[in-house]
Amino acid sequence: MMRSRLAFGAVLLAALLPGVPAHAQTSLSPEEARLIEYGKEVYKNKGNCQFCHKWDASGDTGYGGIALSLRKTFLTREQFAEVIKCGRPLTGMPYHDQFAYTDKRCYDMTRADLGKDMPPIGETLQPREIDAVVKYLFAKAVGRGASTYEECVDFWGKDTRQCDPMKK
Amino acid sequence: MKTLAFAGVLTSSLLVATALTPVGAADMTHERALNVYKEPHNWLLHHGNYEGWRFSQLKQLNTGNVKNLKVAFTVALGGYESGGRYKHGNLQATPIVEDGMMYVTDGWGSVYAIDVTNPKKASIKWKFDPATDRAWAGDVACCGVNNRGVALWKDKIISISLDGRLFSLNKATGEMVWERKVADPAFAETLTLAPLVIRDLGIVGVAGGEYGVRGWIDGTDLNTGKQVWRTYTIPGPGEPGHETWKDGKERYKHGGGSVWETATYDPETDTFYQGIGNAGPDWDPEYRPGDNKWAASVLALDPKDGKIKWGFQYTPNDPYDYDEISEHQIINAKVNGEDRKLVVHAARNGFYYALDRINGSFILGKQYVDQLNWTPGLDPKTGLPLNYNPNTDVQEYAPGSHSSRARPKSDRLCPSHYGGKNWEPGAYNPELNLLYIPSIEGCNTVETVEQKDFEDQGGPVKWRERFVGGAGRPTERLYGSIKALDPTTGETKVRLKLEYPNYSGALATAGNLVFLGHYDGTFAAYDAKTLEELWSFNTGTGINAPAVTYAVNGKQYVAVLVGSRQPQNIWAHAPELKHTATASMLYVFEQQ
Repeated sequence: MMRSRLAFGAVLLAALLPGVPAHAQTSLSPEEARLIEYGKEVYKNKGNCQFCHKWDASGDTGYGGIALSLRKTFLTREQFAEVIKCGRPLTGMPYHDQFAYTDKRCYDMTRADLGKDMPPIGETLQPREIDAVVKYLFAKAVGRGASTYEECVDFWGKDTRQCDPMKK
Repeated sequence: MKTLAFAGVLTSSLLVATALTPVGAADMTHERALNVYKEPHNWLLHHGNYEGWRFSQLKQLNTGNVKNLKVAFTVALGGYESGGRYKHGNLQATPIVEDGMMYVTDGWGSVYAIDVTNPKKASIKWKFDPATDRAWAGDVACCGVNNRGVALWKDKIISISLDGRLFSLNKATGEMVWERKVADPAFAETLTLAPLVIRDLGIVGVAGGEYGVRGWIDGTDLNTGKQVWRTYTIPGPGEPGHETWKDGKERYKHGGGSVWETATYDPETDTFYQGIGNAGPDWDPEYRPGDNKWAASVLALDPKDGKIKWGFQYTPNDPYDYDEISEHQIINAKVNGEDRKLVVHAARNGFYYALDRINGSFILGKQYVDQLNWTPGLDPKTGLPLNYNPNTDVQEYAPGSHSSRARPKSDRLCPSHYGGKNWEPGAYNPELNLLYIPSIEGCNTVETVEQKDFEDQGGPVKWRERFVGGAGRPTERLYGSIKALDPTTGETKVRLKLEYPNYSGALATAGNLVFLGHYDGTFAAYDAKTLEELWSFNTGTGINAPAVTYAVNGKQYVAVLVGSRQPQNIWAHAPELKHTATASMLYVFEQQ
């Protein structure tokens, strides 16, 4: 129980820390580029992440709950993957490993340990999908400032007016 | 043999009054709209009649034989594509049925004309796809990709798309005659409601109450496709009610008051009754001190010029998101021995209200939900919440029931911010004098985040960004109910607890039946007097649309759109629904 509290505390603490420096863009291998693109699709559609966190991962309020900015996160890649997999107890961030809390894989805690503090259930994502979302967010969002028109077009494509308001 | 069959059709003429083939469909006139009871085999208006009853006189299907109901046919539709924030479109439309032709819509605004004259050959005769910019519209739709149906007018179908356009379509072919850009997604304006047609006027209202719109209702001349009038639901300077926006910072310009379900209409006084949505931002009432008229209200309006005749506000300075867009039934009845012209409403805030529809005065109100904790009751004279304080600008309803900047998380709020009754329409059986209220039961919590200003008012918030001042948070499993009320007293005569909150709406029939669809795909018929379940069918995917009934060739059918997967906030507390697949189907049932 002690260990689980510590692990959970680390996640909470990390989420509250101020921003990390922007990630420099390095040239990507075709496989890395493909995984990032795949992660974008999962973020956009299957995982439904953008409903709460917005398309640019800058966070939001409203019917998705109060969702943090992922652009400003201080989580490491490993912590990020853990939060996607396990959700965040006491908050609206859902877990996406459908077997989370059936055993002690998440923060060393079970559903019984958490009781009403259980995070909500989210769309089921497989480890390779979670890995791709993390890759995508670290490549395109984490540590970046306000989103740009180019990022918008990259996310939504050119067949929609969606990014027009961001045109300079 | 043919002669015999033809004679058989004639003997069923009590059910079938007009031509049975789609070719023979007459023009839809104001006269027909006022006399829908003369065409019980059709479902000509969104709510069944202008009065909002969703009641069919058909009684071939009744409490004795509904157990024999079987699937007659199904038709696969489209519109479940992703777009904007949404993984898929939903089906919420009320089918319109005219002489063997049915007109339905999907969430992205495609209209399907389905020939239902022969169940064995039922098929889509034409489809009109408005080519909605899905990302553009779907990113500013608060609560799903929704379209609640079409209206008939002359030889046209009047429809809308989520990206803000109103269409006139050739009823025979689906060819577009004109389109008008009514709402603009650049300002987070969308359309989701079925148009209300009165004479030659098409009336719609804007959705976008979670995105900083200033709500409006808009009338279009259907002959020309041009605007006749627009009335803002949030009054501007010089208009009555503007004084209830006390911020001094022109926050009425982003004050919400959206409109997303079809109004009811009283031809006797030529007045329509439009329910109005929540104030914006939803959960930071300190941002908008004052009562915030006409958010969370009903407005009585003149269709000729859109002028407001009167308004009645249900929840002043609403801190809950209790918008009141759902239907307001028109009923003439004796109240305390006196003949009254009523307009009634099962409100999202958990109370049933009966108002005098001539002057908007409060007649009676009564709690209809199982749990209600935000106020001890309603003032019997004014209908205002008993804990409403006229001397304060930011209301403090029951402690803990709402959040604030000083106390950003509420305790339990009952009913939850979803209501009560959300958009899903109720039904009224005039023969039994019972109003059927499909409800969401249970509680949740709300949170406040201090709202920042819009760019045009010196702040950082851009158009198309959410403007809600917090969030609603599902904290417990909600359930549902169907309640049968006496609308003249507000007394609940019969109640039935449902496993799921109801998001589909009710249909009542003269066969003393009530039909409801459910989240888990159950489509069921209930005894109108006892609410005992008499029949059900498992459609295998969620139902979020109201049913209708109609007849062709002397036979009564029941139709409903099926195929909605519920959003995460629903199945978060009902995990058995998580794997429900999206579909897009018309189901039609018949007695066998």
